Amino acid sequence: MTMELGWPDAPPPDQGPSKGLKVGALGLLSSIVIGVASTAPAYSLAASLGLVTAAVGLLAPSVMVLAFIPMLFIASAYFYLNRVDPDCGTTFTWVTRAIGPKTGWMAGWGILITDLVVMPSLAQIAGQYTFLLFGANGLANNRFWVGFLGVIWIVIMTAICVIGIELSARTQVGLLGAEIVILAIFAAVALARVYGSHIAGSLHPTLGWLNPLHISSTGALAGAILTAVFIYWGWDTAVTVNEEAKDTKRTPGVAAVLSTLVLVGIYVIVSIAAQAFHGAGFLTNNSNDVLDALSRDVFGNGWDKFLVIAVLTSASASTQTTILPAARSALSMSVHKAIPGRFGTIHPRFLTPAFATTWFGVLSIVWFVGLSLISNEVLLDSILALGFGIAFYYAMTGYACVIYYRRLLFRNVKNLVFVGLAPLTGALILTWAFLDSIFVYSNPANAAGDQTWFRFIKFNAHVAGIHFYANGLGPPLVIGLGLLIIGLPLMLAWMIRHREFFRHTAEHAESLHAAAPPLTPGAVVVTD
Amino acid sequence: MAGDIVLGFDGSAGAEAALVVAVTLARAFDATLAIVFGYEPNPMGGETSDYQYQLKQLGEGFVNAAAAEASRLDPRVSVEPLVVGLRPVAALLETAVERAARVIVVGSTGELPIVGAILGSVPHKLLHHSRIPVLVVPHPD
Repeated sequence: MTMELGWPDAPPPDQGPSKGLKVGALGLLSSIVIGVASTAPAYSLAASLGLVTAAVGLLAPSVMVLAFIPMLFIASAYFYLNRVDPDCGTTFTWVTRAIGPKTGWMAGWGILITDLVVMPSLAQIAGQYTFLLFGANGLANNRFWVGFLGVIWIVIMTAICVIGIELSARTQVGLLGAEIVILAIFAAVALARVYGSHIAGSLHPTLGWLNPLHISSTGALAGAILTAVFIYWGWDTAVTVNEEAKDTKRTPGVAAVLSTLVLVGIYVIVSIAAQAFHGAGFLTNNSNDVLDALSRDVFGNGWDKFLVIAVLTSASASTQTTILPAARSALSMSVHKAIPGRFGTIHPRFLTPAFATTWFGVLSIVWFVGLSLISNEVLLDSILALGFGIAFYYAMTGYACVIYYRRLLFRNVKNLVFVGLAPLTGALILTWAFLDSIFVYSNPANAAGDQTWFRFIKFNAHVAGIHFYANGLGPPLVIGLGLLIIGLPLMLAWMIRHREFFRHTAEHAESLHAAAPPLTPGAVVVTD
Repeated sequence: MAGDIVLGFDGSAGAEAALVVAVTLARAFDATLAIVFGYEPNPMGGETSDYQYQLKQLGEGFVNAAAAEASRLDPRVSVEPLVVGLRPVAALLETAVERAARVIVVGSTGELPIVGAILGSVPHKLLHHSRIPVLVVPHPD
């Protein structure tokens, strides 16, 4: 017998080695679980509730609702931009397509540094709550030992992502279910005790807590929104992942709506219950370990550990949904020749972007240890700083959607509302929160800690009716804005030596439904 | 193509050993040898498009090299390299059922059982889930 098919030199084109990608079939429940687990409600509350009450006091529940609005609008941008690529794309790819390679590069950089900035907070909470779980309350407040455990946490989580260990879908549903049930029981018990017996410092909830119009200043509102945007961060995963769902006509919409209701419901109810129990001041004063401090008073002996466990499982989900997308964004940028090629390599045994993942883990540890050495409050400040990064790349996504589909916006009302107005409004709100927070956090007094950086920056001027004033800078501004700005020289340095990626030209969509030709790695439209 | 031999191939030493056995089997039964690489990114991480692209490139490199090696071992065996967008076990089962395969051939990794239990062992899962006979080729070491 001869070589009938002529292998191996010339495989016939119609029988090439690729069978094509089969989309993973995700059910409705797993879509919701992925969205909500990526948002990590228990960890988000533990990390930020005290910061929101610090900004707006008893109006925290209103911020929980209000901050969701821009997120919902941006989710619409994610939903429509996701159709551009046949599979889930990245903000980096979308912005490169819609606006251009330089803006796209900065959006990709925004994702990377945002993922980096959240790591110290995750590691800190994981370390702290692990000690609290075992009753080692002294060690939980010891900066060295919390840092030590936090580093081990990052190492383990990075290793899990490098090796590619995945929890089964059923385990994920179980863990997330437990997290939400525990939060709900916590809120129910706290409210029952507020109404049932006299608790020192307790308050009866009023409807006024839900009215954002009572927030005293726009600066406080902007800061609170930037913080609350952090708690909904990750929710968009439910929308993008849904493109792979079994029933693509129904599942994405239904899953997005249901995960929305779960999240907004949990955040509003828990924040109401938390501040009803001891007042807003208690939350602000315990912002480092707010859920544990409350849990001990609400549940008492032993039972409070359930909430600590919920925060830990939530933090582990959140750490994974930080490391995985960071590594994949780096991989994406590398495949498109926007950063060095090593970041795009796949480990042949583990089949993961091991190089990018390991680098991210190492940088996280350096960043975490560095911040821990400066002070504990800097870790809270980095949560505030996080808002800058999230607002930046979410806003870029919103603008990219409107610009990419600009020719289709006025075809019908549905396009205008969902593809045009919603993403644009979301992007504008986030841009406003971003800019206003620059003013807020340029004043060191508004930071969580008591540190002032760059004391030599001093000015006091009135320009066009706006009062510009600085007396040193607050750490959230320096971390949040500083890391974004560092991207500019890095991009220029890369651009000088590697022109290829920057020759991409912006495109626009002719149809809302047809997938665009892939932004082929390496294939470049040469215009000059 | 009923009666195909389906080989799971991931470029490891165990897979190389399995390839030798699979070529012999394909020759003995005068059957087509389907060389399969399966992968599917974890949806938890989102942003899978470029990751899938890189995985596909890697997988194509593996199966094409394996196909070349199979033809070198025995030029009379007809070989079909396949990259499937499913997790390894699902990819093998799906391909085997689709082709009414005679047998699925995989290599063992030579890892300790506890490592397999933590990382997930393809041969172990196949033995439990497959309705088609599975042949596990021992690791060369």
